[in-house]
Amino acid sequence: MTKLQPDSEFKPIWNIRITLISALVLVLVAILAISMGPVALEFTKIVKTLLGLEGGLEGRERTLLLQIRLPRVVLGALVGAALATSGMVYQTVFRNPLADPYLLGTAAGAGLGATIAITSTNNSFNPALPIFAFIGGAAAVAATFLVSGRYFSNPGVLLLSGIAVGSFASAIQIYLQQRNTEVLRPVYSWILGQLTVSDWNDVKWAALYIFFALIILFRISKLLDGLMLSDEEAFSLGVSPNKIRIIAVVAATLATATAVSVSGLIGFVGIIVPHIIKGITRRVTNRALPTIALAGAAFLVLADLGARTLIAPAELPIGVITAFIGAPFFLFILRTTKGGLK
Amino acid sequence: MIKVENLTVKYDDFIVLDNVNLEIKDESWTSIVGPNGAGKTTLLKTLLGMTSYSGSVTFDGKEVYRDLSRNVAFVPQRPFIPIGMTVIEYLTLGRAKVDGWGKEQRRGRVLIQETLETLQLVGLQDRFATQLSGGEMQRVLLARAIVQEPKVILLDEPTSALDLHYQIKTLDQIESLKNQGVTIISTMHDITLSNMYSDWIAVMRHGKVLLEGISDEVVSSPQLREAFDNSISVHTLESGKKVIVAARNETADF
Repeated sequence: MTKLQPDSEFKPIWNIRITLISALVLVLVAILAISMGPVALEFTKIVKTLLGLEGGLEGRERTLLLQIRLPRVVLGALVGAALATSGMVYQTVFRNPLADPYLLGTAAGAGLGATIAITSTNNSFNPALPIFAFIGGAAAVAATFLVSGRYFSNPGVLLLSGIAVGSFASAIQIYLQQRNTEVLRPVYSWILGQLTVSDWNDVKWAALYIFFALIILFRISKLLDGLMLSDEEAFSLGVSPNKIRIIAVVAATLATATAVSVSGLIGFVGIIVPHIIKGITRRVTNRALPTIALAGAAFLVLADLGARTLIAPAELPIGVITAFIGAPFFLFILRTTKGGLK
Repeated sequence: MIKVENLTVKYDDFIVLDNVNLEIKDESWTSIVGPNGAGKTTLLKTLLGMTSYSGSVTFDGKEVYRDLSRNVAFVPQRPFIPIGMTVIEYLTLGRAKVDGWGKEQRRGRVLIQETLETLQLVGLQDRFATQLSGGEMQRVLLARAIVQEPKVILLDEPTSALDLHYQIKTLDQIESLKNQGVTIISTMHDITLSNMYSDWIAVMRHGKVLLEGISDEVVSSPQLREAFDNSISVHTLESGKKVIVAARNETADF
């Protein structure tokens, strides 16, 4: 009888090296993003400034680094981590490799909230915008749950409810926007996605919510693997599927809504990043969540660098960059998953 | 010992299980048979502890919803295995109950290896589970339950997707588990196979247990035909074995 090779087939479920490589890539991409722009900053001086050593940047360059580029890169990393991690979590919970944070109506609801904030004050910049977007996103998820009723644990029913709620929210959003044509431009620029932060205060609030959500998701990441099986198998292995499902969806939605509220609608990150990590490692496990978060952060910082530099001095909306890469990638996944990712 | 007393399960106002009483001895094989919609799968889920119910369902004296530490494996009729997951990864998840989520122990590896060999799955361990044939998949589902080292295995229609050859092979493997001391509870459509393998048969219809007893007695009982609207006939072979086949019946009530 054929014997198994003792260790070859029993690879560890997750290899920590991939996590370390992702962290390294994030650091490199972040330094690149900080140093590149209309005014190039010197690498060694950036490092010295960040570490508080002598011989760092001074004057306007110092302000440029600390008050403009750095918060933008940090915010980009946070938003990328939130969207990518939520994407993987939604894909697990709904047993659908194409699920992403934009299902469940989260993004459309947040878009409606933001539009209400902009149109009700006729002001292109509105400090209440992130709060309105957050409330809109959370309300859309709650509506999706209510619509699916007691069938919410059926992934198909929940997905369809999310699409219906999302379409409804979009319809109201477009109606509001067309009735208030004077604010069309700010609404559109928000919808297309942007990472132009005003100050560190925005970053702090976003970081608080996103870290809170990510820590919860990392903590339940091993149990999330149980949701990849049938509910009965998961239950027999000691996981309460509905309880984990609710905790996971709430935490992922908090992360998504926070990301959307500070950056607008940036699509496809939640699909591209988890699939790249799965493709490289050939592993399907939620133990990859921290790695996916790091890779998502690196991906969005890089996309934002593209948004800032491709048509400089003008800026492209970052959502355009992610959609340009993401839409063909989505179709690629759609075709390959038919045969089991082979 | 598993004891079910006055068990009633409702979905909204629809009664799925209606005052069910059943006793299942340790290290025995009990088959639950009956037409579609009789409540067989719901009974299995209730035994697992997943549904809310009135009445009492106890394992060794403890009510199922209170005692989540018991080790009961479930083999579903239709698996959900994610795209891109290999057989060995799926089997490793089966160790989560015993070793804890995220921990792989040496003992788990040995057991997984032995199970792959017993169920003739060596060579398939690195294949994507979604690419297996029906027979291979059924063996993988069973292997996942075995590596869990359960005291009880609940099987929902373990032979429904298999050809005759694999039906017998799968049931033989389940029987050898019973001989190792595992209590087996399965739902089955095929009464002949139930009679060949199980010690005890419970016949269900419309959420009620109409008839239960030692397999041979249940199969010989005239009530069995009534449970299936007289649409079956029972034949005795020269060896004394009973064969139950579908019989045309003009008065069958659908």
